[in-house]
Amino acid sequence: MAVDLEKILRPEEKPMPPFPSKYVTLASGDEMVIRQVDRDEIPDILPFIEPLLHVERDYYNVVAARVYAELLAYYTYRVQDEYVLIAQIDGELAAVVNGRMVNADVAMSYHTVALRRGLRIGAHAFAAKMEYHIDILKQKEVLIVAESPIGFRRWMIEYNLEKRFHIQHELGGVPSWALTKELFEKARDRLVVGRRPVPPELLEKAQAGILPPSDPPTPPQDLLAATRSLYDTTATALVGMRKQLREKQNA
Amino acid sequence: MEKNIYAYKCKKCGQLHYPYRTICKKCGQNEHNEFDIVPMAKTGKLLTFTHLFTLPADYETVKLSLGVVELDDGMKITGQLKIEKPKIGMKVKGKVETVRSDEYDKRLGMVFYEA
Amino acid sequence: MRDVYVVGIGITSFTRLEYPLVEIAAYPGLMALRESGLNKVDHLYVANMGGGRINGQTGLASAVVDHMSLTPAGAETIENGPASGASAIKQGYMAVASGMHDIVMVIGAERMREVNNLEATDFVATLTHPHAEYIYGVTLPAMAGMFARLYMEKYGVTSRHLGMVAVKNHANAMHNFFAHLHQPITLEGILDSPEAATNNPMVADPLRFFDCCPVSDGGACVILATGDVAKKLDKPMIRLAGIGQATDTHTLHERQEPTDLLAVRAAAKKSFAMAGVKPGDVDVAELHDAFTILEIVESEEIGFFKKGEGHIALEKGLTKPDGKLPINTAGGLKARGHPVGATGVAQAHEIVLQLRGEAEKRQVKNARIGFTCNFGGFGNNVVCLTFIKEKEK
Repeated sequence: MAVDLEKILRPEEKPMPPFPSKYVTLASGDEMVIRQVDRDEIPDILPFIEPLLHVERDYYNVVAARVYAELLAYYTYRVQDEYVLIAQIDGELAAVVNGRMVNADVAMSYHTVALRRGLRIGAHAFAAKMEYHIDILKQKEVLIVAESPIGFRRWMIEYNLEKRFHIQHELGGVPSWALTKELFEKARDRLVVGRRPVPPELLEKAQAGILPPSDPPTPPQDLLAATRSLYDTTATALVGMRKQLREKQNA
Repeated sequence: MEKNIYAYKCKKCGQLHYPYRTICKKCGQNEHNEFDIVPMAKTGKLLTFTHLFTLPADYETVKLSLGVVELDDGMKITGQLKIEKPKIGMKVKGKVETVRSDEYDKRLGMVFYEA
Repeated sequence: MRDVYVVGIGITSFTRLEYPLVEIAAYPGLMALRESGLNKVDHLYVANMGGGRINGQTGLASAVVDHMSLTPAGAETIENGPASGASAIKQGYMAVASGMHDIVMVIGAERMREVNNLEATDFVATLTHPHAEYIYGVTLPAMAGMFARLYMEKYGVTSRHLGMVAVKNHANAMHNFFAHLHQPITLEGILDSPEAATNNPMVADPLRFFDCCPVSDGGACVILATGDVAKKLDKPMIRLAGIGQATDTHTLHERQEPTDLLAVRAAAKKSFAMAGVKPGDVDVAELHDAFTILEIVESEEIGFFKKGEGHIALEKGLTKPDGKLPINTAGGLKARGHPVGATGVAQAHEIVLQLRGEAEKRQVKNARIGFTCNFGGFGNNVVCLTFIKEKEK
């Protein structure tokens, strides 16, 4: 009886072509491997997303909350046709991107989380995601939205995405933008970077295990500093919070 | 009616200025605003250019080409370029068009095309 | 005119600071007071450019002077675009040298990241000429891009040279705790590798991502005082010996020679003349590399290298920390960060540290004469400062 119920609750099993791993050289000279992960590696990723729930800056908290749910749903077979790609530097987790196929032609891009800033890692990971949808899954367009203004600038404006405002995106029902195959081709030499195959030692290191990020985004010293400073220009609340925090730390 | 960009000619010594100034930079003898307006030439030579990708919020395009042009009457002007592949020294000709618009204002300026 | 000495310094981290602008200004002032053992000043200058537009606080100096309980000392906010910092130091100098005040605090502070990036870019673009440049969508990067293109065409500077400046300054910033970016980069990563175009995208052709300084918040402070006050400190006497300022045309296109930065040339000349030293005497310099091309060109206009040979000196490693003339040992604007109002004061802060011998891993050996160049607008208002360490007492 339990087996039949689980069969009803699970999504239909539709095999997707795998993402061929690739590697890029970052501005720092480090080499970063981008590869697809299967369900069994999700529990290794979740502990590194969880701390971002408390980073109240650049919408990390919203994105982390949603990504955590998406990864968990993928792991527990509660999402149709989702995939997850990760980027690793020396085994350390640097970025997580995910999305799903709505149907054979249309893709729904979910999120891009960068766990190290300043090296355009998010740009590389996002591009890999688009390459997966258009080149490998052979889809016709990808629906995209952004939570953070940084994301908006980079993706809507830089790639000249088309408006699809009549379609509600799965991330909160907001109006969608689309990267069509045509736009992708125009931006191919900028978007499709990275080399294949990944040198064996590099790939082995990446596959051996997902290591904790060495310099992840951390919450600001004052937990509500970011939000407070938006609304409380007298800063009196800020001073009060800081005092409370100090007392709590000293206790 | 054809639109022009104007230079400001000192009424005392004839020095041309673009953009305008309060006191003539050559003789310094004019009364405040004692300038005649003189339309500037519309053809010239491209001195330098750039393609800007980090645009201010009110632009909806991805890229903006800007350049400095030395006009045939000797005056220099900054303007937008609608040229595929600009090169330093190339001949250009300009037209006055809308170069920036927010919700209510349209700003007119010089846009240069390949001559 | 009395001699003027730097008796106290202070600085915050340059990064995104989630504190009100007044606090960002007050903190380095506090540090400088503690360091110098003073507990009041005669006058306060605060250098700031965006307080009114970005942070909703005009009259910043009046707010800071009360926030730091330094009332009833006089206070003024000094705004000179990106050269606000050095201009404020100039005002402080004149106040002490003239005999009007004995101890003057100069703070530079900016909180640019209270607004998003697009707003910040537009705010800085208001430095341009409203009718002849701003309406075309010209921003500071666009002007730097046009300038760089012409320079590269005329003198043979390449993207590689620009990349070398960025790599050097990023490496220098690794030894500076307060720098914005602690991220070493390599020429391979930003120029050579097949992925360089994504790592280092174009911002304003030919300037790329790693050729432009980041947007930062931060504050710095120097306290200027008479020789009598300086003698009482247990530190080397650092004299602000030379100040030079010069202006040029507002619009870029009206410059006499578009590849010259005449304001830098004139300001540096005046500063050296006042201090009684020559460019060759300088041991360490802080230049204004808001865009990497500027470090190269300024080093020529100031007289450190011949015109058109700045990039050759860079190639030879002369401006590295172990070279003949280390430039931007703290990371420059590129890696240390550029909170617009604070930069000029931060440059002075680094020079004073170097001359005092307190720069730790960044220390230039036997640094005795230091120089800063604070570049306002786009080369239309430049302030240069020369500092000299006096002989040990």
